[in-house]
Amino acid sequence: MKIGIVCILLSLLAVSCDNLDVVGKDSVASFEKVLSQTPQPVAPDEMNGGWSLSAPDNSARFIWSKNFAESPLHDVMLELDAAPFIKAGLDPEKLPEHYAFYEGKLMVGTKLGQEQLKYPGQVTPLASYQQIVKLKRSAVGYHGALDHYGINLGDGNLFEWAKDMTTNDKDIVFVLNPEPLIAAGLDPNGIEGWAFAKVTVDDADGKPVQVDKILKPFNLL
Amino acid sequence: MESQTLTIGGMTCAACAGRIEKTVRKLEGVTTATVNLASEKLFIEYGEPQTLTSIKEAVIKIGYEVLEKPKGTAVTIPIGGMTCAACSQRVERALRKLEGIETVTVNLATEKASILYDPQRVRLSAIRETIEKAGYQALETSKTGAIDEDKLRKEREIKILWTKFVVAVSFGAPLLYIAMVPMIKVVNLPFPKTLAPMNFPFIYALVEVVLVIPIIIAGNRFYRVGFKNLIHRSPNMDSLIAVGTSAAVIYSFYNVWEIYQGNFLAVESLYFETAGVIIALILLGKSLEAVSKGRTSEAIKKLMGLAPKTAIIIEKGVEKEIPIDEVIPGDIIVVKPGTKIPVDGVVIDGQTAIDESMLTGESMPVDKKAGDKVYAATINSNGVIRFKAEKIGGDTALAQIIKLVEDAQGSKAPIAQMADIVSGYFVPIVCLIGILAGTAWFAAASTGLVALPAGKSVLEFSLTIFISVLVIACPCALGLATPTAIMVGTGKGAEHGILIKGGEALETTHKITTIVFDKTGTITEGKPKVTDIIIDNLEEANREDVLLRLVASVEKGSEHPLGQAIVQEAEARGLTLAPVTDFTALVGRGIEARIQAPHTLESHSQAPVTMLVGNKKLMDERRIPLGALTEESDRLAEEGKTPMFAALDGKIAGIVAVADVVKSSSKAAIEALHKMGIEVAMITGDNKKTAAAIAKQVGIDQVLSEVLPQDKSNEVKKLQEEGRKVAMVGDGINDAPALVQADIGVAIGSGTDVAMESADIVLMRSDLMDVPTAINLSKKTIRTIKQNLFWAFGYNVLGIPIAAGVLYLFGGPLLNPIFAAAAMSMSSVSVLTNALRLKRFKQA
Repeated sequence: MKIGIVCILLSLLAVSCDNLDVVGKDSVASFEKVLSQTPQPVAPDEMNGGWSLSAPDNSARFIWSKNFAESPLHDVMLELDAAPFIKAGLDPEKLPEHYAFYEGKLMVGTKLGQEQLKYPGQVTPLASYQQIVKLKRSAVGYHGALDHYGINLGDGNLFEWAKDMTTNDKDIVFVLNPEPLIAAGLDPNGIEGWAFAKVTVDDADGKPVQVDKILKPFNLL
Repeated sequence: MESQTLTIGGMTCAACAGRIEKTVRKLEGVTTATVNLASEKLFIEYGEPQTLTSIKEAVIKIGYEVLEKPKGTAVTIPIGGMTCAACSQRVERALRKLEGIETVTVNLATEKASILYDPQRVRLSAIRETIEKAGYQALETSKTGAIDEDKLRKEREIKILWTKFVVAVSFGAPLLYIAMVPMIKVVNLPFPKTLAPMNFPFIYALVEVVLVIPIIIAGNRFYRVGFKNLIHRSPNMDSLIAVGTSAAVIYSFYNVWEIYQGNFLAVESLYFETAGVIIALILLGKSLEAVSKGRTSEAIKKLMGLAPKTAIIIEKGVEKEIPIDEVIPGDIIVVKPGTKIPVDGVVIDGQTAIDESMLTGESMPVDKKAGDKVYAATINSNGVIRFKAEKIGGDTALAQIIKLVEDAQGSKAPIAQMADIVSGYFVPIVCLIGILAGTAWFAAASTGLVALPAGKSVLEFSLTIFISVLVIACPCALGLATPTAIMVGTGKGAEHGILIKGGEALETTHKITTIVFDKTGTITEGKPKVTDIIIDNLEEANREDVLLRLVASVEKGSEHPLGQAIVQEAEARGLTLAPVTDFTALVGRGIEARIQAPHTLESHSQAPVTMLVGNKKLMDERRIPLGALTEESDRLAEEGKTPMFAALDGKIAGIVAVADVVKSSSKAAIEALHKMGIEVAMITGDNKKTAAAIAKQVGIDQVLSEVLPQDKSNEVKKLQEEGRKVAMVGDGINDAPALVQADIGVAIGSGTDVAMESADIVLMRSDLMDVPTAINLSKKTIRTIKQNLFWAFGYNVLGIPIAAGVLYLFGGPLLNPIFAAAAMSMSSVSVLTNALRLKRFKQA
């Protein structure tokens, strides 16, 4: 009886608590910091219907949707300069269907949904990210090995940023799954400006696994 | 000086028992305080200024319960016909007027009267009659006695422990699942995504908190008692569990806070499952332990269960069935075939055969007729008898046996003292080892001297070691090793009619090197019989009968057992005894009397003649020539027979030889003892020839003959001075000093109360084969105790270093606290199981 009451009270406490999703909540705060520290201001990307965060060397962009219902291709995606990849043997013709190659850019990403997003206030880059956390929480994760938050772009591709930029030397990281690219002829060790390394990530069940990734990190501070 | 046995609740390990003993012994006026962990009994002897209440208070003060047995008998009688509060008061008033009513409460709502009464002073039927007389109906009754109460308490305890275990395992299993599955890489077990530790660390942690809390509540006793004992600076098993699991829980809560603060990696440092599973496993161990502990006292329960619940008494000429508690001494009780004798008493009418095997182990039914004693719980085989109740309740032979066995089970063997001493120091030392090991590993890991296990911080690593040491090193097995074996051993003995009066007796028995048997009544039947009649001066036909008649007539007035044997033989032959005058008992020699002899004498005289019946000494004193009878007399003596000369008017008439017959089991028993390497001696007041003859028949190694009763103990002492461990087996009052002097006194069941009081072991039947059985039982029990102690000590000697990380030091694994808890629980269960193996003991 006592045990039951305690359990119910604890459950009620847990349910009534607003701050249970500490990762989601904290990721918003750290994403805000990243947005404020990028050398090039975050700008709207009309073509993709979202916001664009560019790497300091302009070699890559992370784009996220303002409105899932209006994004033409992906809701979250990376747009990369394809030249180093092509030099490293990538044959764009051999890319899988959902990988796009357009005007020297390689695009990877995923559609999160079809919802018409409604904003309580202004539509800002951060507010759009908050919508993702609110509606598509499973796309956002915490990568303990690097102390990063990340957005799952599908097919093993990610965009990650440091939870705490003051203690991390990889403040933003563009992460690609090498397998489809290798299948398209890429030599993962020969991509200029990108690293090919083993990384510990959580798999779909949340278990830590070691996988190969193609990475491009940037230190913003 | 008073002695009492209290039932103690809340003990979990030897340290608890030690603490209670220490606390009570410190009280002024207390001379003895012995706790038996297995039977949960505290035996105390105390005097001024201490009172039972103050001792109970002292026990309660240190965190244990003193479980009270109900005084008298409690009964609940449903009452019909009550309509208002006045009715219930009326019933209460009427009942209170009855003598022997301790308390009475009548509840109008439940329509029941709860009564505590003294069955010696008032019968239940009288209570019911009073209710009826007051104008209400006394409906069907339910009653709870002390034995049932104890049984119910233990059953309740097992049920509570089991319920707690079920709660712990119900929450512990999912807790372990969600804690372990994210770490298991080999198998892909289903896991809710919303609980992914890295994505939803706080929710994951809260779910663990929700799951661990009921487990902690189920195991709250460990914290309540453990910390209380720790505060009193006498930590016990509960303290180890409490400190170990608290460390895990507190550290985990700290990490929950860290997660909330944004340190999501702290999700990898949650140890709620460690605490939860430890508690669940220990509750499982305790549940199994409670069940096994119950089984160790099965023998005594079996004895208690032997007593029938009702008796048929004859009241005003009418048979009436009443509860056994209502029988009072003097009641005339009818026992029908196939039913049990309800109380002890004397047969006044009828004949039957009674199966007394439950008391004596003797399988052959014993014939009973008027004047014979009957005992409670024995089974009437064929006839209907009426007997007069003499001893009831706690005074019956059955109750005495139960008490004797209970006392024995509550006693401690000297071997247990070592375990007690170790247990007393064990827990504090383990705490110290835990702290030292944790600190040492913390220091070593901090300075980089040792590599940390993957994914563990320095603090977690040292904490794991600290918890493992505390959890693995519980001394429960140590505390249970001796008492459980003694309980099963003494219980098994009781089943075979061998009552061992305590742990010390049980332990000493296996060391016996020499056994001294009393002759009469022990090796022999103790009932002499006429074996030979040798005629000298009689010439008539049926000369044997004539001489026997004459000697029996003279011996009729004698109390001597040899004389009684002659009279019995004459009676058996249907001889009519002649009148005797001028009877004189000649101490140590025989009898002299005048007898009206019939026409059967050499003189053919009808006139009274002087007859002498006695030993050779008497004949020599009276200068009566024995002639050829001297040789006959020597021959008889060599055969172990006692020749009694008969002389008429100064002339020898013949010899009537009497001998005590050797028991059928004596030779086999002595052979069995020889096989055990035990030397067997016989002690007797008989002459050397007679003693030697008996010794030869049964294979005795050493004969101590012509020993006066008062010198028997000196003879035993002499053997002890030769460095032997001596057991004395006897039955008579004159054996009592020797029984006390011997290292082990064994009284045989046909013996006197004094012999039984003086003995360490009582054999309920007169079969000497029970002597090797008792020794064998002792050997097996002591072997079990040694095995138990070996495992209990060995387990800790091995377990503690492993838990302290010794294997890890050499590249081996680190012991997970969960496995430490499992091992600890299994150690107690294995010790109990080993003790229960004794239940398979078979008679020699």
